[in-house]
Amino acid sequence: MLPGRHFILLAFNALLRNRMQTALAMIGVMVGVAALVTSLALGRGAQESVEDQLRAAGANLIVVTAGNYAKGKEERSDPDGNIGHTGALSPRDLVPMSPLGARLEQVALVAQPFRVFTDRMAPQGPQILYPMPYGYVTSDGAMAQPQRNPAEALLVPSHFEDDPLAIHDHPTAKDRLGDVSAGLGSAATLTADDAKAVAQLAGVQHVVAGVHENARIFVAEDKTKQWFTRYHGTEWALPELRSGWSMIHGRFLSKEDADEKAQVMVLGKVVADRLFGEGVNPVGKTTTMWNQPFKVIGVLSSRSWASSPVPGDDQFDAVYVPVSTIDGLLNLSKLNTISLSAKSVGDVSRLATEVKLLLRKRHGIGEETPDDFTVTTMAQQAIGKGIPPQLARVIAGNLQDVDRLTIEQMSASLKKTNVIMLIMLAGVATISLLVGGIGVMNLLLLSVTQRTREVGLRIALGARRSDIATQFVLEALLLCIIGGVLGILAGVLASGGLQRFFEWSAVISPMSAIVSLIVAALLGIVFSVYPARRAALLDPIEALRHE
Amino acid sequence: MSIISLQGLKKTYKLGDNIVQALAGVTLDIDQGEFVAITGPSGSGKSTMMHILGCLDRPTEGKYLLNGKDVSSLGRDELADIRNKQIGFVFQGFNLLPRTTAVENVEVPLLYTRPVMPAAERRERAMKALTAMGLQDRYDHHPNQLSGGQQQRVAIARALVNEPTLILADEPTGNLDTKTSVEVMRILQELREEKGITIVLITHEPDIAAYGTRIIAVRDGKILSDEPNRPRSTLEMAPEQIMVTAN
Repeated sequence: MLPGRHFILLAFNALLRNRMQTALAMIGVMVGVAALVTSLALGRGAQESVEDQLRAAGANLIVVTAGNYAKGKEERSDPDGNIGHTGALSPRDLVPMSPLGARLEQVALVAQPFRVFTDRMAPQGPQILYPMPYGYVTSDGAMAQPQRNPAEALLVPSHFEDDPLAIHDHPTAKDRLGDVSAGLGSAATLTADDAKAVAQLAGVQHVVAGVHENARIFVAEDKTKQWFTRYHGTEWALPELRSGWSMIHGRFLSKEDADEKAQVMVLGKVVADRLFGEGVNPVGKTTTMWNQPFKVIGVLSSRSWASSPVPGDDQFDAVYVPVSTIDGLLNLSKLNTISLSAKSVGDVSRLATEVKLLLRKRHGIGEETPDDFTVTTMAQQAIGKGIPPQLARVIAGNLQDVDRLTIEQMSASLKKTNVIMLIMLAGVATISLLVGGIGVMNLLLLSVTQRTREVGLRIALGARRSDIATQFVLEALLLCIIGGVLGILAGVLASGGLQRFFEWSAVISPMSAIVSLIVAALLGIVFSVYPARRAALLDPIEALRHE
Repeated sequence: MSIISLQGLKKTYKLGDNIVQALAGVTLDIDQGEFVAITGPSGSGKSTMMHILGCLDRPTEGKYLLNGKDVSSLGRDELADIRNKQIGFVFQGFNLLPRTTAVENVEVPLLYTRPVMPAAERRERAMKALTAMGLQDRYDHHPNQLSGGQQQRVAIARALVNEPTLILADEPTGNLDTKTSVEVMRILQELREEKGITIVLITHEPDIAAYGTRIIAVRDGKILSDEPNRPRSTLEMAPEQIMVTAN
């Protein structure tokens, strides 16, 4: 071949000769490649959403929650319209006695369901009810307002850390509510035996029994660092149900942890960031919850950009502890949730019905009585994941009885929509690339015309036609590769922007960057063929006379 | 030994419906070391002859033997290689690449030499050719920084760089003043005398043709006359120069 470096330099110089036109042609290529990168990213994102996230984010998941929120809301008339609560006390009971009554109204709106704790450390003092943002409700009905040191006001001798291992008596729903339906998750109607029974059903893949409650988590060595979050007492198989999860540090809970009732904790990414700082690996550090030390063994995050961890979410703004450990500390008798996955994703609806019948039977619920638990399938939630929200709304609107659809039907429907979206995106990318290519061709034709005499001279001095053609193709190739690299950068930015501002799922793989660069190079070659041929076929005699 | 042998060379062009005969049967031998001046008015066919001699064009009929090899039947790439290695071109308009230094201009033919020549060797040979033209100090000048004579010397250096056996000079003095023209003719004469390079010069000026060892007059695509010539010395004053001096 020809001396390569020289001709690359030559191509560079040729490009620099028509700076403006080169820049315009390069922008054309850049836009085309950026459109390609973006559509590949969106396409891949959409594909991952359908095939992976739809299933992984829990399309085969059934969650049984203690209590029946839907029924409870219907049956309990609440004149104040407060959020349903189910405790021994209601905020309204406290208001007349409280000096802070006016504020308590607000408190009630934000309060979690009331739970009664007794303070083992100070048995002679009043019982402490649940701490609230504006003060503390005590069992003698007073609302204690925190003084300078909230611990003094509480009469709790040691630490602000709430709930020193109180007597956690989960009364049965019957005891607590006198047969009144309870709010979702707060009633105590599910038992470990229920979980075992559910596991026996055909078609069940994994069963995970769980409890959860809000708790304050502290860094053991620096108690000023704390985060109020939710703990989940759970089992090792939970990540199997949530395959959208990934461990960014350490590991998840193991069967051994459960057997040993080990005081180990997996932090959600949000919690890890808040307690130990962003990006710090806290594995091996110690946290405390209820003044009990827990060793951090892992940090959990989301595998997909589409459901990235944010404060306040239930998965990553949370900590995970073996349910057996919680049981050992708090002497649990009831569960909040039983989560299970179906072996086959098409089997979810049938399995959900069976779980429902089984639990009704086990709980001895008569035909007229509503469930004291709620069975939820994740299909409805999953359908909107990872695809543009507008699109999700349209799909959800068009799918009647979404829970009754099999996952195959749902994913087929989503795929169809995705294919249409992809065809449109591919169309946009193709047109952009075409326009970019025409820009390249235009620049080259200009270059050939300007350099006719030069081409004639080179032919006279011994350049073969292929040498001349190569030179122009090289010029286009260089232009397109530079434009392509810029286009990939622009595409990454555009995909990131779509992701961030429109919550579209966009996944850029190194492969799609390579493919785009190859497409850019091919674009250069294809669209330079005509100008290069034209240059190569110039008659040197005519060309040398050209002015 | 004859370096060039033309045998019944014909060339016809189609111009619309008309068929134009540019060369109507030319038979001619040129020996190694000759300085042949081909003269004739425009339209006489001398340019067509030049193009065929330079392997830029092919005859419609007849044979062209270059160094004993029939090149009228060769393919494009083979002709390109012959132009590259065996023929050095000197043009009327110099045809140097703009925005390109003198030494880089001289290197251009070497870029297309097969097998590929390393960059260092290209530079070395180009510098040698420039030095022979007395332009070693101007190697990094762009054409627009050089005088007409210097530009033509760069062009001659480019023609010489691949050590051809034949130099084709097409109106090499057309764009030069008389003094510079004489200078260029002296260089060509020296190349012939010192290196034995065959030179074919195309010109319509009898003055310039007079520097050759043989003058061929062409008219209407045929050879009108073919005479040996006692070459005019470049030391003599050209008549124009006398005029200039008188003024």
